[in-house]
Amino acid sequence: MSLDEWNAACDRLEDFLDAHRVQDRALVLRLTTDLLAEARRLHAENPIYSPVETTLDLATAQTEAWFSRLAADTAPTDGNAAARARVAYFAAGAHREWPAAFLDPDPPAAMIEAIRRASIQAGPDLEFTSLIRREVDYGPVEDLARETWEQFSWSHVLRAFLIWVVIFFAAYGSYLAFFA
Amino acid sequence: MTAFQKTSELPAEVASLRQALFLATGGGITIAGTWLLTGLFRSGGITATEWALLVLFVILFGQLAFGFSIAFWGFVVWLRGGEPYEVMRTLPETEDCPPGSTAIIMPVFNEEPGRIFRAVENMVRSLEATGCGAAFDFFILSDSNNPDNWIEEECAWVNLCSRLNAFGRIFYRKRRVSLHGKSGNVADFCRRWGQRYRYAVVLDADSVMTGELLVRLARVMDANPAIGIVQTAPQIVRGTSLLQRLVQFSTRSVGPLFAAGSNFWHLAGASYWGHNAIIRLQPFMQHCVLPELPGRSAADRHILSHDTVEAALMQQAGFQVWFAYQEPGSYEEGPPNLSESFKRDRRWCQGNLQHFWFLFAPGTHFTNRIHIFFGLMAYLSAPLLLVFITLSGIDTYWKQQFAILSARAADPVWTGTWWTSVLLLGLTVTLLFLPKVLGAIHLLPRAREFGGVLRMGVSVIFETLLSILLAPIFLFFYTQFVVLTLLGLRVNWKTQNRTTSAIPFGEAIRTYGPPTLLGIAVTVLTLMHVPILTLWLSPLLAGWLLAIPLALLTSSDRVGGWLRSRGLLLIPEEIRTPPILAGLDDPPPALARPQTLADVAHYGILRVVLDPFVNAVHIALLRRSRVHAKHKGEYLAALSDRLLSSGPGALTVRETHALLWDSGELARVHRDLWTRPGTRLDPWWRFALRHASED
Repeated sequence: MSLDEWNAACDRLEDFLDAHRVQDRALVLRLTTDLLAEARRLHAENPIYSPVETTLDLATAQTEAWFSRLAADTAPTDGNAAARARVAYFAAGAHREWPAAFLDPDPPAAMIEAIRRASIQAGPDLEFTSLIRREVDYGPVEDLARETWEQFSWSHVLRAFLIWVVIFFAAYGSYLAFFA
Repeated sequence: MTAFQKTSELPAEVASLRQALFLATGGGITIAGTWLLTGLFRSGGITATEWALLVLFVILFGQLAFGFSIAFWGFVVWLRGGEPYEVMRTLPETEDCPPGSTAIIMPVFNEEPGRIFRAVENMVRSLEATGCGAAFDFFILSDSNNPDNWIEEECAWVNLCSRLNAFGRIFYRKRRVSLHGKSGNVADFCRRWGQRYRYAVVLDADSVMTGELLVRLARVMDANPAIGIVQTAPQIVRGTSLLQRLVQFSTRSVGPLFAAGSNFWHLAGASYWGHNAIIRLQPFMQHCVLPELPGRSAADRHILSHDTVEAALMQQAGFQVWFAYQEPGSYEEGPPNLSESFKRDRRWCQGNLQHFWFLFAPGTHFTNRIHIFFGLMAYLSAPLLLVFITLSGIDTYWKQQFAILSARAADPVWTGTWWTSVLLLGLTVTLLFLPKVLGAIHLLPRAREFGGVLRMGVSVIFETLLSILLAPIFLFFYTQFVVLTLLGLRVNWKTQNRTTSAIPFGEAIRTYGPPTLLGIAVTVLTLMHVPILTLWLSPLLAGWLLAIPLALLTSSDRVGGWLRSRGLLLIPEEIRTPPILAGLDDPPPALARPQTLADVAHYGILRVVLDPFVNAVHIALLRRSRVHAKHKGEYLAALSDRLLSSGPGALTVRETHALLWDSGELARVHRDLWTRPGTRLDPWWRFALRHASED
């Protein structure tokens, strides 16, 4: 593999850590060095994947595992628990308060407590109520409308129109013939 | 000047007497006008055309007269020093927090997320300042179908909760199926959480209310178990374009008189506007579930404009509906230009015309019938007025003299009918413009808040003149809306664009070309056949002929800003911004973009796929993915691949939604983006990866 590809992997890894708001430069350096070293080892064993894939696979796997552990420590777990832990980590400002704790296998207890408190709740517990629609009596207008809809047909309108046109011209013709 | 301790003590005879006075004023003026017109027609015997004109005149002049009656009685209330039967006068002296819990619900639909959450933030802070914040929960109920808006709403919500430590007090819900628009959204809230709360304050996406007012509303509901709904009178604020500033000035000058006059006649039988109001949830859920209308299709049977109907149902159930018209601290915004205003009117028109069914429904209260009738006439009067003008023109042409008023003006002999014409014209002009004068008089003691007496006077005249020019444009479009609605053409619930004002020139030509052409045609026709009619119709023709420049002018922020810098059309909130309105335009921290991505489209998609935090927020709010059928999994995987290899523009909105609703696939695409080599990513993503984390 070329140096460019490993440089690209290094850049991507830095962007990844940056996206996780890891602001402790020393931690960034340490994580980058450790992850790249591990990635090089894995890549040597399985060169079918590019350095970017190998490195970031490793980084995402470690991150997800870390958040899953945080989730288990802070709340009952379910399918989206790791995602909720990740939200709570950011929402609690843990990335600012404990800048060196990212991917720490033994995170500070205060941070876990802060994350527990910041658990998001999109809505209160559901208390379902059936909303029952009542019939409204719209009075005679509704009856009239229903009758019209049931009986209405454009062919009837056309027929009536034609009849009145014939009557009009017959009357007009008569007027011209006999009175004009 | 408190006349009652509780609203249930409202004497029935007071309501009856006031309704009689209101109806007598409007009815008396209508009879007087009709008598004058009949006198004009009678001189030569009433023809068939004149009979038709007379019928139309009664309807149209009646609407004018009853409108005047409202303003007149509002002015009388003001002269008397206030309303003794005003709902907020029943507030107990104590300053305790309301014991009942209140949900503040804000249905949103693709409106600017920053604006929505800044407003919520201001309201939360304002409520905290009252010391009663714990009694209120906020719900942002999203029906946004723009994926970017959806993601930004989620980000802004989490960020706001995080900053205010308000998880568990500010909630966010996104409906998967936006059934029945806003009313369906509110019903969905009631079904899920309505049982938990005693009251709900319903807001629009552009509404803001002060904490003090929210507390007072909840307290007045607690003090009066007979009340079902209290509607406030939101002030229109924060206008930048000329149209917005015109409307907000107008509603501040004559609006209070119309509000006081409305309260004068309906008292406990007010209407509900669907926002900036507090409702008692238990009876609302029990009695105000929207019924189906008679109709042939499901779409025909669905009520579009729910608020008036809900007020009617609440009253039918025995609860009062009041109008707290004097309460400060309730705000909303107006549409920035004529096109947006018409978009909203088209929806309202269809909704109001549907209310026709309730007009004759047994059990509907008298005051509700009046509200429904006024709502209908707000739009129906436009085609009726056009028919009236057309018939008048034809009648004039036939007689070669001015039918109603001007025929006698053209008459060389100054007969008695000439004076009748002048009297009728004078009465009409009085009904049209006296409310403006009364509005200006009632503002005089507070003229300093409106820029001083001179500037306020100039503003009133300017607003009146521009309203005269704009009225024919409204006449044209309202007629179009009524015809479209009666032909059964549907009107959808569309977002209101309240952030950008200017109408592009091309759109102005396309939209306002037809009224201009109509103006040209009528001008040519009248000049050729009845020249004097051109003079009489000149206000109408001017509005049509100038429709394009007026649309452009009124949409201009520069003109609005220039007038403001000259102290014209000022409202008190422009002189001193109340804290509740401060900073509404500043994007919340969660929505601030890096400079390099400032103009990037699909920013919401970018964030939800790329940003681990935003991706997690979105996934956490979704239900956990079920195990898919194989073909669905393949479909989603193909979409993800296309998203990354060709960019978000390669997906339709429907496809983007399919991805966004699947938590498993979204987690996968996030991982895939970060692990994929740059050569297999669209350049858009490569650019995003490099710049997304910049400050």
